[in-house]
Amino acid sequence: MTLPGGDAAAASTGSATRVYKPEMPRGWWLRRRHYFQYMVREFTAVPMALWLLWLLYEIQRAAGGPKVYYPSVSPAFIVFSVICLGFALYHSITFLSLAGVIIHLKFMGKAVPPRAIVAAMFGLWLVASVVIAAVLIGFAR
Amino acid sequence: MNHDSAKGTKPAISHLIWWFLFANGGGLAALVLPVHILVQGVLGPLGVVHVVDRKYDTWISILGNPIVKLYLLALISLAFFHFAHRLRYFLVDLGVPAARTLPAQVIFYGGAVAVTGVTIWVLLTTAPI
Repeated sequence: MTLPGGDAAAASTGSATRVYKPEMPRGWWLRRRHYFQYMVREFTAVPMALWLLWLLYEIQRAAGGPKVYYPSVSPAFIVFSVICLGFALYHSITFLSLAGVIIHLKFMGKAVPPRAIVAAMFGLWLVASVVIAAVLIGFAR
Repeated sequence: MNHDSAKGTKPAISHLIWWFLFANGGGLAALVLPVHILVQGVLGPLGVVHVVDRKYDTWISILGNPIVKLYLLALISLAFFHFAHRLRYFLVDLGVPAARTLPAQVIFYGGAVAVTGVTIWVLLTTAPI
């Protein structure tokens, strides 16, 4: 069987079909700002995971009782948190902005505009942040 | 041809499940994680505000609340399914095609299952209900 446009390459390897192999050069994501931003967005999972593992560790430390428990206060921990906070904020902004593309709602027979959905998500983010901050600070002594 | 089209329309149930966990984990983390990091990781340790995890008594007391336990489980578990999905495709993008394979899926999603298990154990043993 010969393929339309079957060329010397196919003939020389002796294969009847040619498989398309997309080639991604190393460092492709460094070539354009948008590619880089995309990869930073994907990478946000790493610092967020590390911070949540720290949270889990802090919960677990309380199992030792009042004499064993100590809260993290070191400058290294604060720097670590600040870095994680930057990535977490980037995740929030990119993820919630995408809601306008992903979520399709109809209200009174009309499609809700994506801008309204994104605004609602950012509003929800604000409300959730205020409530959680109120609990974390309000139940402290 | 028929065989191919039937194969092509087969519902990707596993992908649906992973994507559901991915999207919800990502959404929950987007809504609540920054404030946790800001308050518990920066403002609390700096002493700007009193935070519940700075003292044993208040920390253990809030950890004993079943609603708080459920919330923390949902946050940590769903977030890790999100992280697993993202990191797997992050590696694919970096030029590691092996991240697409079944063993990679077992490692990444299995890791999220393991974190879920550890979280349940920690939440139930630290401040028993």
